[in-house]
Parts: sequence; C-alpha cells; structure tokens
Amino acid sequence: MKEIYLDNQSAKPVDSRVIEGMLPYFGEKYGNPSALHTTGDIGTDALEESRKSIAEFINADEDEIIFTSGATEAINLGIIGYALKNKKKGNHIIMSEIEHISIHNIAKHLDRSGFEISKVPVDKFGRVDMRKLERRITDQTILISVGYASNEIGTVQPIQEIGKLAEEKGIAFHSDAVAAEGLIPIDVKRDGVHLMALSSNDLYGPKGVGVLYMRKKYRVNPIMIGGGQERGLRSGSEDIPGIVGMKIAAEIMQKEMSGEIKRFTGYRDRMIKQILEEIPDSYLNGHPTERLASNTHVRFDGIEGESILLSFKDKGIAISTGSACTSKTLEPSHTLIATGLMHEEAHGSLQITTGRFNIDQDIDNVLNAVPEVVTRLRDLSPIYQT
Amino acid sequence: MKSTKYSEKVLDHFRNPRNVGTLEGDDVVVGKVGNPTCGDIMEVFIRVDGDKITEAKFRTFGCGSAIATTSMTTEMVVGMTLDEAMAMTRDDVAEELDGLPPVKMHCSNLAADALHEAIVNYRKGKGEVIPEEDSKKEEDPGCVIGQDEFLNKGVWFVVDDVNEFEDQRTLILHSGDESVQQAIELTEVSDRIILLTPEKSVVTTETLEEQLKESKVKILYESRLLEIRGEYEVEKVLIRNLDEDEDYELFVDQVVIIE
Repeated sequence: MKEIYLDNQSAKPVDSRVIEGMLPYFGEKYGNPSALHTTGDIGTDALEESRKSIAEFINADEDEIIFTSGATEAINLGIIGYALKNKKKGNHIIMSEIEHISIHNIAKHLDRSGFEISKVPVDKFGRVDMRKLERRITDQTILISVGYASNEIGTVQPIQEIGKLAEEKGIAFHSDAVAAEGLIPIDVKRDGVHLMALSSNDLYGPKGVGVLYMRKKYRVNPIMIGGGQERGLRSGSEDIPGIVGMKIAAEIMQKEMSGEIKRFTGYRDRMIKQILEEIPDSYLNGHPTERLASNTHVRFDGIEGESILLSFKDKGIAISTGSACTSKTLEPSHTLIATGLMHEEAHGSLQITTGRFNIDQDIDNVLNAVPEVVTRLRDLSPIYQT
Repeated sequence: MKSTKYSEKVLDHFRNPRNVGTLEGDDVVVGKVGNPTCGDIMEVFIRVDGDKITEAKFRTFGCGSAIATTSMTTEMVVGMTLDEAMAMTRDDVAEELDGLPPVKMHCSNLAADALHEAIVNYRKGKGEVIPEEDSKKEEDPGCVIGQDEFLNKGVWFVVDDVNEFEDQRTLILHSGDESVQQAIELTEVSDRIILLTPEKSVVTTETLEEQLKESKVKILYESRLLEIRGEYEVEKVLIRNLDEDEDYELFVDQVVIIE
C-alpha cells in the first residue's frame, strides 16, 4: 500500500509535467550554453528562458537570478558571499533564532571567521520581534537574514516590515524563501528583499536546483570558482535539465498557486480545529493565522514525537515531528524552543504538511488516526494523567 | 544508521508493549529514571517474593526504543532473583532486542537503570544498608547572573500590575506561597507562566496546591535559574536541570523573583 504522504515540507514529488518537459534536455538538447555552436545555443536559450520565467515568478529582473545547485548553495552564496564582499563596511550580521539549521550553521562558520552574529528572538507564535530586531542594529551591521516563513511551524514573518527597516538603515536583507515559495505570492520589490534563496523541489521541480535572487547593486563574492558561469558568481556547467525543470515548475505554480493555497487552507483549518477539539491537552504551535496554508503543527502533553511518528508510520502515514529523538543531535527543535516551549513540550509535536498531490481522503485518514495514536501513547505514559 | 531504524523486535515491543501499567501492594517497589527535559521517563514496578521477582510492569514517556526497552526489561526480569536482576545491564536489554541504533544506546536505554533503582528501593525497605553513590553535591544557590542588569527590564521583584504581563512568557521562581499565588494569578493574563523550583514538588498550602494543579501554570521541577540573558531586556534564561546536571536555554520575556 502506498504511504499517505503528509511531509511535503521535507521533500516533494516532481510534477509529471515537469519531468516530461525536462526529458528532451538530457538527450536531444544537451548543449553547453558556453559553446558558440547551434547545439550550444539551444542550451543558452533554455537557460535564459528559464531565468526569465523564474524572475517573473518573484517579480524580479532577469539579471537578478543566479542558478545554483539548490537552496543551501543559494543561502551560502547569499550570506557568506555577501559578508565577504562587504566585510570592509562591517562585520555584524543579524538573523532570527528560528532560521533553518543550514543558516545557523553558516552563522557558526562566519563567527569563526571574524564576523559577529546576533540572533533576534521571536514571540510565542514564532514571529520576529521588530523592536528587538531594530535594537540589534549597529553601525557595523551589514546584513539581516530572516526566513520568509518557518519550515517547521509555518509562521510567516513580517517580511515587508523587515524589508522597510533594512532599506531605511542601508542594510542588506536576505530571506530564505524555501518554505514559503509556492504557498505565498512572493514579490521581491514589494517585500523589500535584497537577497533571496529559492529551491526547485519546493515548487515540485527536481532536487539539486536552486536560485539566489540578488538585487541590482547588491554584490556577493563567489564561493564556487571555475569557468565563470552565471556572471562569474557560480561557476560550473549549468544543469540545464534541472534548470528547465525549475522553470516549468515555477510556471505551473504561478497558474495553480491561488487554487492550491485555498485548498490547503481548508485542509489545515479543518485539521487544526478537529485535533484541538478532539484531543484534550493539545495545542497549536506557531501562529493561528499568519501561517503557511500547508502547515499544521500541534503538540500533545505527555507523549513523545518519535513514538508519534512511528505510530503513524505503522498506519501508513508519513508525518514529521520536532522531537529530539528523531534528530542527529538529540536536541529538540530550536524553533519550538525559541517560541518559549519547555523541552518536554517540544518533544511531543506532530507536523503535517500538505502538498499538491494530497486528496481529501488523506486528511480524513490522518484525522481518524490521531486520537488512536495519542490515546495509546498516553496510556503508556507515566507523566500523563487524565 | 537512521535514528529510527529499529530491529523487528524493537518494533514489535513498541507496537505491542508487554506488561504496561502499575502494580500495587506491600511487596511492590518502583524504580523511576529519566527526566522530561531529555525526553524519556521510565517507571518499572516489580513484585518481589522472597528473593525472586514474580511480576513486573512499566510506564514510559519517550521514543520508540524507550518504550521497547522497558517492555523488554519487564519481560526479562520475571523469575530472576534480585541479584540476577541487579546484574542485568543496558547492553543485555539491547542485545535481547537485537540491538539498538548507536545514537539510542544511551538516552533511551535506561530501563535497566530503573529496574536497579527498584531493587535498591526494595532492599532499603528491608533495612539493608546500601552504600550511597556519591550523593549529589548541594548546589550553591549563589546569585543569578544578570539579575541586577535586567532589573525593571524584565526582572521584577514585585508584580504591581498583572496587566503588564499580558501575553508575556513569564518565569517565576518558587520562593514560598506568595510566588505560587502570583503564578496562578498571572495565568489570567498569559497562557505561558512557568514556575521554577529546585525541589521535586512544590511545597505550599493545601489550597494553593489544589489551585496550582487546576491552573495552567507549567512547573519546572529540580531546576535552578543560572543566568538571565538578553540585549537591553530579558529575552531568555539559562536553566540548570539539577537531576541531569545539564544546562539549557528557555525563552521568556519576564522573570519574577519574589524574595
């Protein structure tokens, strides 16, 4: 039996329309855009058309799009590249406490390289506190990095407010938009973002492709050195099939996004309402309204997340959890902790993220399973008393 | 190895745990290990007849391997003498389950420890003198770092107006009945009120104890506030878990210290 997949935040299937559109670029249209012959020109055309489509998707200009091998590389180029390029201006970088782990690890790296990192706290819903953000700005601050929305609890940040503040202070604003893309219409001009990372897979495109949006006049140092592709900012022969895949994924998303957001919001609101009503001592993690349409994140007193995950796995349902016991470090989710949860609370969470290929029946199934799983584990638990 | 890549035996004990529950009677003792902070708590109950364990039950809060190891332990010990059970190790339990992922060997394999604690408790009850393992050093309460720096910037010795704590994540140090009363009162304006106590329970009046139980106050037991941190105002605190001897951060907006 096929597993019911409700962990779309961690990986998404590639849309079959995307796969179909990619196929010619493996065999027939294999040209290297750097080559000057006709075969190469086909590659150039595909690359530049893709750049145009993705620019349109976020209301950017074509020459502001840099293709990378994924969002992680885009984030590295955006943050490390910007920091190195601008270290004469200052060595201070501000980021939120709930950035994706890849960004927190970049912070550690930069800290060892002589940069100073301040992390700005979030409120109990996971929203960045603007007052605390502003207070951290010094004359050494060169960059602010706040993710568009949390990949864990789905809280959407006050991006336009941060963009405005950054603009006023003359500081660059980087945003990791991986969790938000395809679930919120992004407009880099309206949002006031200067550097932004996108991933192809989160648009139902192939893994291994991403984009750094870099606004004109904002410069980064390359971190991949080689043949000078992408205006010298990202060397290495372009992955044309992957880039075309991302382009098609973005075009499909552009058309289908508003309908999907509506459908996912219905799923989400139904799940949150029913779980909180049906299960005593259950709570919503994240913001009640300022949250991604696809994200349902709840916690239960007295039970532990890995046990919840395994129980759903046994029922043929794939979900996720913020529990320590499923992580490599055995530390609970830094995002849940940053919202003010105690460790024992952070351990008992359930994250459900819907996607394009979920159907109503999937939601029925997961909702049917929740009470059974929670009740069984609570019956085993020494710390849950009814 | 993936942290959830379990053997069939582990999965079987997770899916169908044996001997779930508690035991009662004069011949029953319980051993309890773990701490909710680290994500696992295990209770092992044993019934002892003469020198033999005749029955065992358990309750566990924790991950898949935590549940499976306690279940397996209760299955293994029935029929053992107390000495045999004392000699049983974590590794024995893990082996019986066809192994555990390396990352799980420590954190969730405490079931044997819970069993040993139960046996020690039994022997103590029988008047045997058990040499204490280097009993925990009495911690010096000392002063809280940052207490003065953040005074009136998130650190309060008195709550003048509860409304100023609206929606604020607030930590209150248990220092007596007044602090308990204050914690309960603050739940009217905020759903995140945490009472911190170095003890295993909150000792207060019967009425307050009842009210505290009914209230939404979260309690952090066996914990001490080490440090208050933030930029310009309170943003987080460093807490020491006295039981596990581990320090961790907790994000709060206000700290109330009633002397």
